[in-house]
Amino acid sequence: MAGRRALKAVLIDLSGTLHIEDTAVPGAQDALNRLRQASVDVKFVTNTTKESKRSLVERLQRLDFHVQEKEIFTSLSAARSLVERNQLRPLLLVEDSALEDFTGIDTSEPNAVVIGLSPDHFNYQTLNQAFRMVLEGAPLIAIHKARYYKRADGLALGPGPFVAGLEFAADCRATVVGKPEKCFFTQALSDLGCSPTEAVMIGDDARDDVGGAQNTGMLGILVRTGKYREGDEDNINPPPHLTCDSFPEAVAHILKNLL
Amino acid sequence: MANTDWPGCGKSLKGVILDMCGVLYDSGEGGGVAITGSIEAVKKLKASDLQLRFCTNETQLNREAFVDKLKRLGFDISVSEVFSPAPAAVAVLKERGFRPHLLVYDGLLPEFDSVDKTNPNCVVIGDAAEKFTYQNLNEAFRVLIGLEKPVLFSLGGGRYYKEGDGLALDVGAYMKALEYACDLKAEVVGKPSPTFFQSVLNDMGLQPHEALMIGDDLVNDVGGAQNCGMKGLQVRTGKYRPSDERHSTVTADGTVDDLAQAVDMILKQRH
Repeated sequence: MAGRRALKAVLIDLSGTLHIEDTAVPGAQDALNRLRQASVDVKFVTNTTKESKRSLVERLQRLDFHVQEKEIFTSLSAARSLVERNQLRPLLLVEDSALEDFTGIDTSEPNAVVIGLSPDHFNYQTLNQAFRMVLEGAPLIAIHKARYYKRADGLALGPGPFVAGLEFAADCRATVVGKPEKCFFTQALSDLGCSPTEAVMIGDDARDDVGGAQNTGMLGILVRTGKYREGDEDNINPPPHLTCDSFPEAVAHILKNLL
Repeated sequence: MANTDWPGCGKSLKGVILDMCGVLYDSGEGGGVAITGSIEAVKKLKASDLQLRFCTNETQLNREAFVDKLKRLGFDISVSEVFSPAPAAVAVLKERGFRPHLLVYDGLLPEFDSVDKTNPNCVVIGDAAEKFTYQNLNEAFRVLIGLEKPVLFSLGGGRYYKEGDGLALDVGAYMKALEYACDLKAEVVGKPSPTFFQSVLNDMGLQPHEALMIGDDLVNDVGGAQNCGMKGLQVRTGKYRPSDERHSTVTADGTVDDLAQAVDMILKQRH
């Protein structure tokens, strides 16, 4: 651990790391409480294009996790902060359930496109409208660029393909704001006043959680829960700082070795 | 030595290939409208000693219906002169034993009547316009992701075209979406595929340097033709945008206001 400074913050992924759908990972609530008793800040980070912070907090509280809304940073938060920083008026191609995270943002006469996963908006008319705006130079902001995801009835297209289609048609590059982008992690840390070298990320996605965090200068811990598949740790370079069975083990490692 | 630059090359030309949408007519409500002077320009070409073919990536209508539409607009044109991606795709599917899942406009379906579509082992997409819903794209995606070796055919690979008073996404955007989702590369049937242009040249019995392609799509019409050794001319109608004249990779051999001006310049070289 040469050159690293004392640990100041722990970033924790939600789905697949603390809980799987509506079931908590065994021991995760207690582990989180133990972590909170140590002198580190905790933040919860997730790629979502449809769940508002409020609905995420509600689910976590139902599962007995002690979490506050201000401790959550999502890809929707990252999009909002980019929109605010550049004073954009976005056309929001996101599900209605995500709109509350954009409350107060001016969306009149839009001059930017924010695109998440929104089957209701992914139709010929709306995509043409977004395309025309981007072709005329409006920035294209992607909440994230996942190829597909698992739905109860099988695999379904994620936002990534629609972003890729618009990029091709308008000959432009989208600004992706979710994990694994560097700016996602640095923004999540920014109000904690801590640099990436003082932080660790825990997640079940080798590429988006661990790889992204480590590219930013953080340590990354991969847990073998959620979407983890055997050998995932070998698919990123450098490999994870640690691969362990589940969140409680990750917390034990931090308390023992990183503080 | 013969002048091979535009418009000097008009003197030695033996054949002309015309893109259709954006060159002959602008699409829109009720079949669209003919672009000023283009009906007359086609007549003049037909009256000349030049061979003439039409080459379109139109995939919303089958060829018969499409040619009927152009006749109603006033064009002197017949089915045998028109090259479009669907018949080319049907030939490829049959030759290689593919049974397609089709995501195409209803009007194009008759072109695929003779193709076995049971238990699909590939996906064919055309410009399905409002049929490009999340659900329909998802169905195509699931067919592809369920195949051991996913194969996607795209009828054309255009980025966008002019529809009424605005620009609309073309099939290429949806092709890219499925390519990204399944991490594969689609096979494009139609412009700018060299095989497609070559089939038009073969039909005229001409060498590439003896033919000129005229289109409004810089990359697919002009660039595609140039890749085959033809000259490519861009018209400032249809989807043309001024930035096309400063494009980073494709430079047209010439740019003209419209088809009428192109034809007058060619024919003047030949007198």
